[in-house]
Amino acid sequence: MKTTIRLMKTLLLAVMAMAFTGSPGKAETVLTLWSHWADHESKRSFVEGAARAFESANPGVKIEVTWYEKQALYAALKTALRAGQAPDIFYAEPNQVEYLENKLLYDLSDAISWDKVEGWAKDSWSYKGGVYGLPLEAWTVEMYYNKKALADLGVTLPANKQLGQTEFVDLVKASAAKGLTPIALGVGDRPYPGAFLTHEALIQTLGIEDYDKLLKGQLDWGDDRVRKALEFVKTLVDAQALPSSFSTLKLGESHFYFHTKPGALMFLMGSFYPSRAFNPPDKGGQPEGFELGVMMFPALDGAACPNCKSITVGGSYVVNAASKNAELAAKFLNSFATPEMANEWLDVALVQTGIKADPSKIQGPNAAYFKELSEIDGMCTFYDALPMGVMTGEANEVFTQVVNQAFPAGLLSVDEVIEKMNATRK
Amino acid sequence: MNKQKDLSQPLGAIVTFLVPALTIYVAFTAYPVVRTIYNSFHEVLPGHPNEFLGLQNYVTLYNDKYFWGSVKNTLTWALTAPFFEQFFAILLALALYARIPGARFFRIVWFTPVLMSFVVVGIIWMWIFNYDWGALNVILRAIGLENLAMSWLGDPSIALPALILVTTWMWTGFNMVVLLAALHSLPSEVLEASELDNCNWPKKLWFVIIPMIRPTILNLIVLSFVGKMKIFDLVWIMTKGGPLWSTETVSTYVYKRAFEWNSFDLGYPCSIASVWFVIVLAGVLLLTFIFRQRDKLEY
Repeated sequence: MKTTIRLMKTLLLAVMAMAFTGSPGKAETVLTLWSHWADHESKRSFVEGAARAFESANPGVKIEVTWYEKQALYAALKTALRAGQAPDIFYAEPNQVEYLENKLLYDLSDAISWDKVEGWAKDSWSYKGGVYGLPLEAWTVEMYYNKKALADLGVTLPANKQLGQTEFVDLVKASAAKGLTPIALGVGDRPYPGAFLTHEALIQTLGIEDYDKLLKGQLDWGDDRVRKALEFVKTLVDAQALPSSFSTLKLGESHFYFHTKPGALMFLMGSFYPSRAFNPPDKGGQPEGFELGVMMFPALDGAACPNCKSITVGGSYVVNAASKNAELAAKFLNSFATPEMANEWLDVALVQTGIKADPSKIQGPNAAYFKELSEIDGMCTFYDALPMGVMTGEANEVFTQVVNQAFPAGLLSVDEVIEKMNATRK
Repeated sequence: MNKQKDLSQPLGAIVTFLVPALTIYVAFTAYPVVRTIYNSFHEVLPGHPNEFLGLQNYVTLYNDKYFWGSVKNTLTWALTAPFFEQFFAILLALALYARIPGARFFRIVWFTPVLMSFVVVGIIWMWIFNYDWGALNVILRAIGLENLAMSWLGDPSIALPALILVTTWMWTGFNMVVLLAALHSLPSEVLEASELDNCNWPKKLWFVIIPMIRPTILNLIVLSFVGKMKIFDLVWIMTKGGPLWSTETVSTYVYKRAFEWNSFDLGYPCSIASVWFVIVLAGVLLLTFIFRQRDKLEY
């Protein structure tokens, strides 16, 4: 009996002690993070690794990451932010101006080592004197090609890897005549790949400054230079440059279409291409022995800037302005802003980053690819946004339906595109 | 004198049984409807007090060509699909009623589509409609009709009919089962009497069977109409409203305005939802009025 009473007293004391001091293993602060990339294993492991490293360096802090698909994440976030139940940190892209306009993001101006971040990447998150996102992922629009297929067509690229307009149209026609789809592209599940052809042509013909005006509604779509770029794209569409299944071909499927079945000569795609294609073939990657090349977008006749192209900041992390742990969350984001983390990202995620990296230090099987990409991009001048990052509301919706989908699908004429896009100018 | 308890009106029991159901109804149906209507007169942004806009959202909606385009598509769907579904469902139900060989097997096969979610159905039909390797185009090419092979979901003039075909395929089985139950409940003496009068099958169907199962058919049409007026999932999976807004429905447009148009404002999407609620309600009342039974059948 005495033993039982003593045991109960001990238990009571233990419970009281835990109530006052908290349980021994319990973290003091939990940071919540909601992120896209549920199906991107390499990016997940990179972020999870950073979280664990931060926890080790900051005892008492726990980071809980919840992974989503992008659309599901966006819908969940909009609901959670409206209800005041959003996480401390979440995934965002710079085109989501609604977060900025409604002051939902914490200003990271003084929280991040911005000298470790590329200037254009910082700019993409700058808004009214503040900087609101850590630009982790960045990508350029690249013209990938199958080296063997190009050689089979008897075409050799010049030293600067850029064909002229006529040469390029001839190449497309020769490829189509041979039964090989010239350019693999599809818009089945994304609002942007179909527009690559058009906006890369527009950047060249207009140059950076006027292209920016066009996207902001300050330049008429009926401008002769715009018409010229659209006519170039129309020539390609009429030459059956794109797959017949363009309208329903999904992003992942278009990768497979290019490198495996049925195969295509070229693939105009974001430089995130390797994150899928460099996987083993049984996981949807390129077949063994596939010779991947990167060429410049063709130089259009009379182009104002033949070496101009798009770069954009993609997946970024932002801090919820309403978070009680905003400073700590910002400190976690700052742990990404080092050259070592940037290089690790390149090596693991196989796509560029807005954090300053040194691709020359990358070793292994992907080193040659990054060297070639680095050489190509070294010759380019960049416009640091995609149209959907500049256009909002109705203009964005019309651009998606018209320039991304219907025009490359051959459903609209140049005049109809001009008319529909001009109708959105306010 | 003791007060007698009125056992015909047990207030405590009424309240006990009503409160849970009423609470759920008010919380999840009545309040959201009222709140949606309230929001439609305001600009609703996170972290800001709601700003009263009067009828501004409704004026904007009146001039919104994308909204009216989505109304046209949704009404086209809602006014055609129910009739296709009933037509095929009656044929299938009659086949089962006539006990065709393998009736039990076919009943399961024909009913199966309705057991699948819209997501699964959408993916299956995206495969079927695929231009390069989809079953539909493969069959057309195999039988020498290559010129009919097309991008079924990529052509604005074909995409909506293609989606209507999918919902017809999906829901015909459900209608068939309900109609089959109605057929089995018909009084055999009436059918036998028609046979004694030398009524052949088409006449028996047209003059005897269909009038007797008319209430069931009409109820199914109204149910299907309401379902099509709210359709979202299938469109979102298969076309996201494209190409060129040719499959945009009111539900997908509301979603885009609420979640995809770079805006947090819930006021405008709420005004679309409110107007559509009234239109759907009016449609159901109109159909009920048109289909009302003037002469009650007695059998």
